[in-house]
Amino acid sequence: MGTFKLPDLGEGLAEAEILEWHVKPGDHVLVDQPMVSVETAKAVVEVPVPYSGTVTVLHGEVGDIVATGSPLIDFDSGTVVGSMPVTSEEEYVDSAKIGRARGGVAARNRAVPMARALARRFGLDLAEIAGSGPGGLIKLDDVLAHAQMDAAPAPAASQSQARPEAGQRALAVPAGATAEPLRGARRAMAHSMTLSRAQIPLSTVCDDADIHGWSQRGDYMLRLIRAMISAWRAEPALNAWYDPASNSRILLKHIDLAIAVDTPGGLIVPVLRNIHDKTPEELRAAIAARKYAAHQRSTTPEDLRDFTLMLSNFGTLAGRYGIPLVVPPAVAILGAGKVRKDAVAVGDSVAAHRRMPLSLSFDHRCITGGEACRFLAAVIGDLEHPE
Amino acid sequence: MVEAIAMAHGWEMQHDPSVVVIGQDVGANGGVFRATAGLQARFGADRVQDTPLAEATIAGMSVGMAAHGLKPVAEIQFMGFMYPALDQIVNHMSRMRYRTRGRLTCPVVIRTPHGGGIHAPEHHSESTETLLCHIPGIRVVCPSSPARAYGLLLAAIRDPDPVMFLEPVRLYRAMRQEVSDDGQALPLDHCFILREGSDVTIVTWGAMTIETLRAVVELESQGISAEVIDLATLSPIDGETILASVAKTGRLVIVHEAARNVGVGAEIAALVAEHGLYDLHAPVQRVAGFDTIMPLFRLEHDYIPCVRRIVDAAQLTLTD
Repeated sequence: MGTFKLPDLGEGLAEAEILEWHVKPGDHVLVDQPMVSVETAKAVVEVPVPYSGTVTVLHGEVGDIVATGSPLIDFDSGTVVGSMPVTSEEEYVDSAKIGRARGGVAARNRAVPMARALARRFGLDLAEIAGSGPGGLIKLDDVLAHAQMDAAPAPAASQSQARPEAGQRALAVPAGATAEPLRGARRAMAHSMTLSRAQIPLSTVCDDADIHGWSQRGDYMLRLIRAMISAWRAEPALNAWYDPASNSRILLKHIDLAIAVDTPGGLIVPVLRNIHDKTPEELRAAIAARKYAAHQRSTTPEDLRDFTLMLSNFGTLAGRYGIPLVVPPAVAILGAGKVRKDAVAVGDSVAAHRRMPLSLSFDHRCITGGEACRFLAAVIGDLEHPE
Repeated sequence: MVEAIAMAHGWEMQHDPSVVVIGQDVGANGGVFRATAGLQARFGADRVQDTPLAEATIAGMSVGMAAHGLKPVAEIQFMGFMYPALDQIVNHMSRMRYRTRGRLTCPVVIRTPHGGGIHAPEHHSESTETLLCHIPGIRVVCPSSPARAYGLLLAAIRDPDPVMFLEPVRLYRAMRQEVSDDGQALPLDHCFILREGSDVTIVTWGAMTIETLRAVVELESQGISAEVIDLATLSPIDGETILASVAKTGRLVIVHEAARNVGVGAEIAALVAEHGLYDLHAPVQRVAGFDTIMPLFRLEHDYIPCVRRIVDAAQLTLTD
């Protein structure tokens, strides 16, 4: 409740006469609307409503003289604390529906948050991804599978061929340089080496074969092949294929040896078939034919396929030891480094002997260190034979 | 709204002689905001009792009256004065049914003004519903229009268990709405869908429904269709309505006047995280008061979430 007293109307006058009330008890009034007209000795003054609220009592009738400071009107402003925002004249339109509208709402594109975020990053539309989770929930794997399919390279390349590795920033090409897409052999190398690094827990063991005792200079390639055949007979485990899907290995009864051939167009790895059945002459001819084809870029896909063991005679260029990479499903590769004279202990003295450095890499998922070392020892044993 | 509240009191006192009204100034004065205006003249001083300025007593009396078959409707003059009553609410009112193994219930309604916006002192203006929502055994209700105030207050009085009835103070006289005095209650424990939409769900309650509905008009002008859910019963939460809406829109904004930290909005966000995570297209946004004392009244409109903040939050959920 609030009582409003007749204010000093600004002329220092002690009283005023009520001429007309513009409001009556029960009226809801807003601040500043006309309330009462009073006449002072000098003028007629309009007094506006001082508070919003409801008029409860008028202290005086038309014609009454009211002294300044005497109660003029009472309001109920609706509160004793603060100032209440008053009714807007507009009718409040309220079309509320009681909740729990069940059913009828089809969830759209439900997705695990990480899957949703990944799809956004790949620019994929979730609506196009089939969800494998309960109720069609789209999971991370679904997005990955979808991305893989959509990102398949041009029809010429096989579907599983390598794509730029996820996680690597796109390179800015420096001025003066151009980006050259990898093609052919280089592209195949990118793929097979990526596959190798991604899949194979590789281990490499290195040693040297002392070939000082060779009676003639000899053909390194042929000697290496002979040594590998000999080692295979001693330790067959390295001539095998490994299948991670079924976690099984196939020990092979023949050796199809892949040999690395360096060409200007890239690394070509043609396969020599059934090397264990071949005479040295046949082998020499086969190697020459494969190398020629590689340089002529006429190696057929058949000549690249289904190798069982690998050999890289990189020492013809440079390098002692290396970590050759095995390409699945094969499980081992022998690398031969540059032959040179080393100071070796012979009895209690030092002598200069020609030695061939060897690096044997193997897939440690299916080959034990013991098998690898036995194989390497057999290779060395054969190589060190004078003939 | 305040007239609708008085009207609901009147209807229920007329039709149920066990309903009594108690509180400071509720009788001769008709309540600080006139929510009980005219009741004492109509029903007598036995049924509309002025009490001392003693909130613990008001709540304690309510428990005793309820235990003896009355249905007290008590007024706490401001939510900021509720705290002395919490002892009675937590230790007696909320667990009467539990403690007596269901032999007694506690059909009490405690009404109190909620929130700011009327230039009252700061401890008259806070929104501390979280304190009440954390208490098991009581309902917490907050209407957002005269019609819902009428219908929900009737439901609260008729409910056999205690209900905290929070009345948004700046809505008391802020809107004009025709409410028919027909004794029709509205259901407790249900949200109200104030506006249907397809792009984003906005859950709010009390006076913030007004700012939210204004924000929705602005969002609409930007081509964004928002669904507005008035929570209405703050505890227990009607999760089904919210989850159904989020499944439809995939986006959720929660708007409340109360401080953000451990607000009821956090509970709603947790609910959706637990049961609706896979429907969400974007992180949940909360628009709330700040984690500070409600400021003195010159600054209270900087504290209370404004239309701009609600629009921004809704846009954020729609920005990839």
